[in-house]
Parts: sequence; C-alpha cells; structure tokens
Amino acid sequence: MSTLEELKEVIINGDAPAAKRLTEKGLSEGLKAAEFFPGAIIPAMDEVGRRMRECEFFIPEVLIAARAARGATDILKPLVAGDPSQRPVGTVVCGSIKGDLHDIGKNIVAMMLESAGFRIVDLGVDVSPEKIVEAVRREQADFVALSALLTTTMVNMKAAIEALTSAGLRQKVRVLVGGAPVTEAWARSIGADGYGKDAVAAVELARQLAAHV
Amino acid sequence: MHRIIVKPTGVELRASSGTPLRDSLFEQGVEFPCGGQGRCRGCRIQVLEGEVQVNAAQRERLSSDELAGGWRLACQCCVEGDLVIELRQWDAAILADETPFAFVPRAGLGVAVDVGTTTIVAQLLDLQNGQVLAVRTALNSQGRHGADVMSRIEFGLSPQGLEELQNLIRRQVGALVGQLLRAARVPGPEIRDVVLVGNTVMHHLFSGIEVELLSHFPFSPSRAGLEIFNARELDWDLPSEVPVRFLPCLGGFVGSDILAGLLATRIGESGDLLGLIDLGTNGEIVLGNRERILCASTAAGPAFEGARITMGMRASAGAISQVAVVDGGVQCHVLGNIQATGICGSGLVDAVAAGLDLGIIEPSGRFAKGRTEWTLSPPVTLNQADIRELQLAKAAIASGFHLLRERWGGAEPVRLYLAGAFGNYVSRSSASRIGLFNYPPDQVHPAGNTALLGAKLALFRPDSEDGSCHHLRRRVEHVSLGADPHFQDVFVQELGFSKCAPTYQEEIAL
Repeated sequence: MSTLEELKEVIINGDAPAAKRLTEKGLSEGLKAAEFFPGAIIPAMDEVGRRMRECEFFIPEVLIAARAARGATDILKPLVAGDPSQRPVGTVVCGSIKGDLHDIGKNIVAMMLESAGFRIVDLGVDVSPEKIVEAVRREQADFVALSALLTTTMVNMKAAIEALTSAGLRQKVRVLVGGAPVTEAWARSIGADGYGKDAVAAVELARQLAAHV
Repeated sequence: MHRIIVKPTGVELRASSGTPLRDSLFEQGVEFPCGGQGRCRGCRIQVLEGEVQVNAAQRERLSSDELAGGWRLACQCCVEGDLVIELRQWDAAILADETPFAFVPRAGLGVAVDVGTTTIVAQLLDLQNGQVLAVRTALNSQGRHGADVMSRIEFGLSPQGLEELQNLIRRQVGALVGQLLRAARVPGPEIRDVVLVGNTVMHHLFSGIEVELLSHFPFSPSRAGLEIFNARELDWDLPSEVPVRFLPCLGGFVGSDILAGLLATRIGESGDLLGLIDLGTNGEIVLGNRERILCASTAAGPAFEGARITMGMRASAGAISQVAVVDGGVQCHVLGNIQATGICGSGLVDAVAAGLDLGIIEPSGRFAKGRTEWTLSPPVTLNQADIRELQLAKAAIASGFHLLRERWGGAEPVRLYLAGAFGNYVSRSSASRIGLFNYPPDQVHPAGNTALLGAKLALFRPDSEDGSCHHLRRRVEHVSLGADPHFQDVFVQELGFSKCAPTYQEEIAL
C-alpha cells in the first residue's frame, strides 16, 4: 500500500496520530503537499460521507475521522499557502441560525466542506443576520451555509437571506441551508440557492455551485 | 358526501369533497407528529381503494415504491371520493396513578389533571378520604397541531394559533371534568378545587400566555407563576367560583409536572441526594436534596415512544415490549400475546441491550459483521437507523444527567426515580446496559405518574398555601444544558455504548 493509500485508511478509521505520521512520511518521501488532497484526504472524507449515509458511521466516527483529516491538513496547509493552484474552492461562512444552539450537524458539514477544499469561516451558534452580513463582507465569502434544528428557529434563515439582500450582498453569495426540519420546499420558499439533506449532499451541492461561479 | 372506511377498526366516516383527511382522522386518534406540515412520515396511511392526490411534500417524503403501493401522508390529502384506507398508528397506553399517599382530609371533591403533551389524565378525588372516584384519559386534542412541544409552539406563533390551542385544551379538560362527575354520579357543586400540572408549554397554552420566548434560545417562560382561573371564565360546567389552578413552572421547559414530581418523591426533604428522570419526548432530569435542587430538560426525541423507528409503535397490542437473551438468541414478549406487528420503546431498549450482549451490535452502535438488519420476531426487524435513533435519545438523557451530576461536584444519587409511562415499563437492567443511567436495578425506582400524584397532593395542601410552592421553587435551580459549553462534547461521548455489561448485573443473575 502506498503512503497516500495508507493515509486514506487511517483518516477513515479516525487515527489522528497515524495521519500526522503518514503525512510527514509522505513529505519525506518527496510527495508534494498538493498531492495529498486528491490522493488521500478528499477521497477519505468522501468515503466517510458514504458510510455516514449508509448509517454505518455515526456522529462520533465522523467527528474522529474529521479530526484525523485535520491532523494531516494542519501540516499541509502552510506548505501550499501561496500556491495559486491550491487556492480554496471557495470561502464558506457558516453557522447555526439565531435562536438555535445546535452545533454538531453544522460542525460536521463545516469539516466535510473543509476537507473538500473550501475555506471555512465558522460563526458558531445563535448567529444573527447582522453577524452573517458582516462576515460575508469581511471575508468576501462565496457561500453562506446555515443550519437549524428547530422548526421555530428555521424562520430566522429567511431573515438572514433578507438581511443579505438589503445589504446588497445577495447576488455575491450562494446560500445553502440544512438541518432536520428543513426541506427542499422550504429552502426554495425562502429564496435559498440550495438545500442539503445531509453533510454529503451539502458538499456535493457546494462543489456543483462552485464549479459554476 | 363521500364514505371513508378506516381499517383496521372498520370505522365508517363521511366527509364532503375537499375535506382535509387530517380533520376526519384526528377524531379517530390519529396523531400528526409534525403538526401536519408534511415534514415527517408519522401519519402515513395506505389507500386500499379509491384515489388520493399526491403532492410535492409526499413525493419528497415517500419513495416511488411507496407511492405506487398506495402510501400517502394523511396530513397532505383531501377527500375527493369514496375511500378505504388503513391506519398505521395505534392507541396509546396512558398511565394513571394509584399510589397510596398521606393527606390531611378536607370536605368535598377535587380534580387533579396531568396535562401531558401527548396524553391527559384526570382523576376525581374524595378529599375526605383520598379515594379516587373516577379516572378519565385522552389524547391531548392539540395533537392535530403537532406531537411535540416545538411544533405546538410553532403553531402557537401563527395567527390565532395561540387562541386555537388554548380553546382546544380548555374545552377538552372541561369536558373530561364533566365526564368524571357523570362517571362517579356526583353533582358539580361538590367540587372544591381543580389542580392542573404540565410542562411549561402546556402551562402557557392553557393560560393563553405568549410562547414566543419559548421558541428560541434561551427558552425562557414569559410568565412562570401559578395561574388561577375560575370555572366561569373557562366556561366549564361547574359552580362559577370553583378555583382552577395551573401550578407554576420551574424554568425553561421544566414545568409543574416536575414540580409535582418533587412533591410526590419529596426530593426536597431528603438528606440523601436523589434523582428523578421523566423519560419522554422532552426528558426532564432532577437531582437534589434538602439543600439544593437542580433541574434540566433535554430533547430526547420520540424514540422511547416507538416513533421514528422503522417498525416502531406505541405500547399496545402487537408491540414487542420485552426482549430477553435465551440460549444465545432472543425471545420476545408481544403485548396481547398475538403475532408481533412492531416494537415499542421498552422493547427497543431491551433489544439493543440484548444485541450488545450477544455481540450483534458493537459498542459504537453499529451492527457487527456487515449485518444490515436484525429480525427479532418475524416480521419485526431492527435496522441500523433505528439503533442510531435510540443512541440519540439515550445520549440526550445521559448527557443531561452527566452534566447535572458534574454541577453537584460528581455526586451520585442514592436513589433514582423514573417517572412517566416509559420509565414504568422499561427494564432497569436494559436501561443500565445501554447507558441511560448506570445504577444497579435496586437503586432505580419506577415511580409511576408522579405528575398526577403531585397534583393530587397539591389538592390537599393547607389553605395557607395557594399552590405557588414558593419555598420549594426558591430552592430549585434550572440549568440550561444547551448553553453549557461541554454539552456537545458530553453528548457525543454518550452516543456510544459500553463494551461490557456492568458487573452488578451478574451478581443479580446469581
């Protein structure tokens, strides 16, 4: 098994120390930092996503796999900084919507997007429309990804989109929404650009939209 | 008018063209968990004869095979012709309370009501001798607007929603009181007192208090105190001056049902640390003694009630209610001793505990050796997603309990009371095995419907106390779990199961 194949395996299994060790090993063998992403990290997280969708992986397994992936990317990122071919696919401002403190689902989506090459600006939980507008402007974001786990807080997604519109930023960003009570129909009704029924769908959607930017 | 035949009960209904099926079926006890928004699959029916239109919401929630097989979401359908449909829901098992209790006699009769989100239990008492003269139970009529507190709040925020929910519950409880009087053949003027308990949302909706503040973080009640009405303003068939008291809330979603639980279990008088867990869709947890009482609520979801489980059902005929390991396999007990048709909450907890002991389920919750489902008793099977649902419910309770113990400096209660129907039926050793809590069975006491018992005790409080229980309430501290920075970490940690059964179980087996 090549080092990249091995790295992919240990990320899927959530072994962070091994992920770091194999990344260092690969670099010492002469692999370029940029090769690790398509060669190991992205396919590993795609596989994690697949297993999550099959219910084979659950929240803890996904979180430890993401942590292992981060062990590798923390080493690699400084090495690819400034390399124009390794610019992020896009910048995503994400958060759980105002009134909602649920964090886990949003974190999983953020980690999966990060592994897929997006730059993530995580605003945390209970995020007001004003904070979203401010972050989009400051970070020159391409995407806004919003999560809600309560039917009663989901309405604040609409307020966030309206705030982006009145700030004149709506045309500059794609808005993705998700969370247990959110549906495709709801996403359309509030004027979002897309709905992801799970983290895998969110990543697919962001990739598709990024390709058209 | 069109004719609708509802199977398996065989009831025949009549409805005009364009009538929403929801209105007709609600009368038959069908529940609409998401409030009829087409967001869940809880109200699905199978159309055996006749035609019902499919809309976008149904295409999103039902597979093309299901649609072709006649499956529909009742909440999304209107009557357009004669129909024969089959329901997939069952009657609820509702827990009353028959616990003997100490009291100071007073003249006349009283009514105690536990206003649950799902079910309502009302008892008529002779205040002279404490005897229960009649009991009435019903599904909460607000159920047509959603099964859980969040969907009720959502409806309560819509125009006229609050008024509608208030009218529904006031009318229903009034009718139950009337039924109690007729059943016991006693005249209304004998009634001296009516006491209601329920969670904060039920308290607000009965009292007509705005629920906006309960709809988002930090989930604080608008008005938490005792609410006093008289029979006249409620339009109940009782002498106009009879007081009707809805006991006060403790904080957040923790309402007078738990306050009543404190009265019933006397946690606030104990020298030892005691715990109380009410295992419902919204789980409430109390940990305290005479020094200090902590309480919290945690959203466990409906898995304990058999909902959102592929073959889940309420605890009624046909439900697997117990699963035991026998000779390396499992043996199921089915309520009513008939062919199994589904599994209820207590059966699910037993099954997962058995699966862990048999090595069929790994400590991560995943099926071992590539298995995708597990047949318990044909045709009833568990699949991977079902176990995940239980893990979420278990982790919500266990992490809440964990954090309250942490606030107590790591103290462990000497006794744990389980309140509510599920707590009454669940096997204590299976609940320990899946890590809902971790105490030997003799330390865990099913306490029945402590909300109703506490409401009855409140009927006997001396006149100097109006039911505001301010001495007790002052000592109760409500902990907002969601705001605790450790909550998410603890929650993730509690999602898994322990590798082996706790050792005390073997001692008991010997």
